[in-house]
Amino acid sequence: MLRLEAVSKRYVRGGWVLRNVDLEIPGGEVVAIAGANGSGKSTLLRLLCALSRPTSGRVSGQPEVIGYVPDHFPPNERLSAMEYLTHLGRIRGLSTSGAVARTDQLLDRLALVGGKRSQLRTLSKGNAQKVALAQALLVAPQLLVLDEPWSGLDASAHGTLAAIIAEVAGSGGLVVFTDHRESISGVHASHTYVIDAGWLSRRAMVTAREPATEVVLMQPSGRRPPDVDWYGVAGVLEVTGRAETITIRVTREGSDAVLRTALEHGWSVTSLGPIAECTR
Amino acid sequence: MIALVRYAGATMLHSQRYLAPVLLFMAVVGVSSSNDSGPLPPTYGLCAGALFVCATWLTIALISVEDPAHRAITVVSAGRSSRVLLASVVVAVISCLILTVVGVVLPLLVGTHTVGAADLALGVEAELTGACAGIAIGLLCSRLVIRRRGYALIAAVGLVLVALLVRGLPPINVLLRVTANATKSADVLGPAFGLLAIGAVILVVASLATQFITTHRD
Repeated sequence: MLRLEAVSKRYVRGGWVLRNVDLEIPGGEVVAIAGANGSGKSTLLRLLCALSRPTSGRVSGQPEVIGYVPDHFPPNERLSAMEYLTHLGRIRGLSTSGAVARTDQLLDRLALVGGKRSQLRTLSKGNAQKVALAQALLVAPQLLVLDEPWSGLDASAHGTLAAIIAEVAGSGGLVVFTDHRESISGVHASHTYVIDAGWLSRRAMVTAREPATEVVLMQPSGRRPPDVDWYGVAGVLEVTGRAETITIRVTREGSDAVLRTALEHGWSVTSLGPIAECTR
Repeated sequence: MIALVRYAGATMLHSQRYLAPVLLFMAVVGVSSSNDSGPLPPTYGLCAGALFVCATWLTIALISVEDPAHRAITVVSAGRSSRVLLASVVVAVISCLILTVVGVVLPLLVGTHTVGAADLALGVEAELTGACAGIAIGLLCSRLVIRRRGYALIAAVGLVLVALLVRGLPPINVLLRVTANATKSADVLGPAFGLLAIGAVILVVASLATQFITTHRD
């Protein structure tokens, strides 16, 4: 059980970043922390990873193996993805051959484009973020902390990320991630908290039970579906389906924006209708 | 710990930021001791001063080559930030040991001297003293303590000048004075050893201070 008791934080210069935060996370939970930029999300995550100390209050119950994925991973290293991850695997106590094998497996799963052996600084932002995610998984984490994971990763890797989050939680681990969009938090997390100017509050379930719209989209045959970041469209709750046919659940207010985006990218609308209250 | 040292060493080597201070050291040692046929203590004193400046530069380069986000990942992977800092210090010390060998041997190759065991011992003592003090200042002026590069540079230059120029300030200024006036290495081995001990203590204190400041500021 990871526990924050009356945690407040301020940096040497500046005002309070977190105020009197109480939070308890039992094993197997996936917790989302939503909030605007500068609301204190990243600071909260740094406290969970013991990268930072609270000014007052107490953080306890951190497990031994923590995986931390920062919100930006500047790819300025001249080491290759393979070398970098092998080093970090060894730092985590793996043997060289064990680290190489694990790195290979993770980079294949995350579909790293641009070469395992090319320097990190030559990778695109999305691919560098895959390396950042891979390093957190070299040894199965008991606590996985992800800072804005959905915005850094390419949309094509979102499915893998969701699966990884579910696996960590499934094996009894804790997952905490942040996002500035509440819609995405609700889909992947068992609990959502909202942080606003340093104050943390559990999100009321009522707001999640709004009536929603289900949009089924199809790609005209023979064309490769374009890569659209659906979760970047305001109000999108869930995207499911295979490559050519996808189903999007979206809040009623967001449905027009989804349709506009779909048509712009050449999707064809198969059906559209209201659905019962979205359960999460 | 070995894995952390390997990683810190690999990032430094790949970044090539070590090149400028290393080349500067080689140049100073080479130029100042070529065709030199006088007593060795002043030569080694000068080499120690050069290593002092280069160790400061090298340490700052070594620590700032890792971006804060990368360092955060390394700290979480290693479990403790103190181990990550220790790995950086170890890499700095290893680099300076290599430079010490260069700084002791190169003057003998480019000059004409009669060499005894006491000369070699003095060379090692003097240059390691410079290395310890330089790494200490480098740590205190690294991004871990001073975030802004401009201030860090001013602080580093200021501290280096103070250590070199303030009369009677151990270990660097005293070392330069002691070696400048000595003709036989054996005469100053004792004082030089004392200064090396002071340098080592300064390095340990600077490492602890750096660790304290980083953990309490973040």
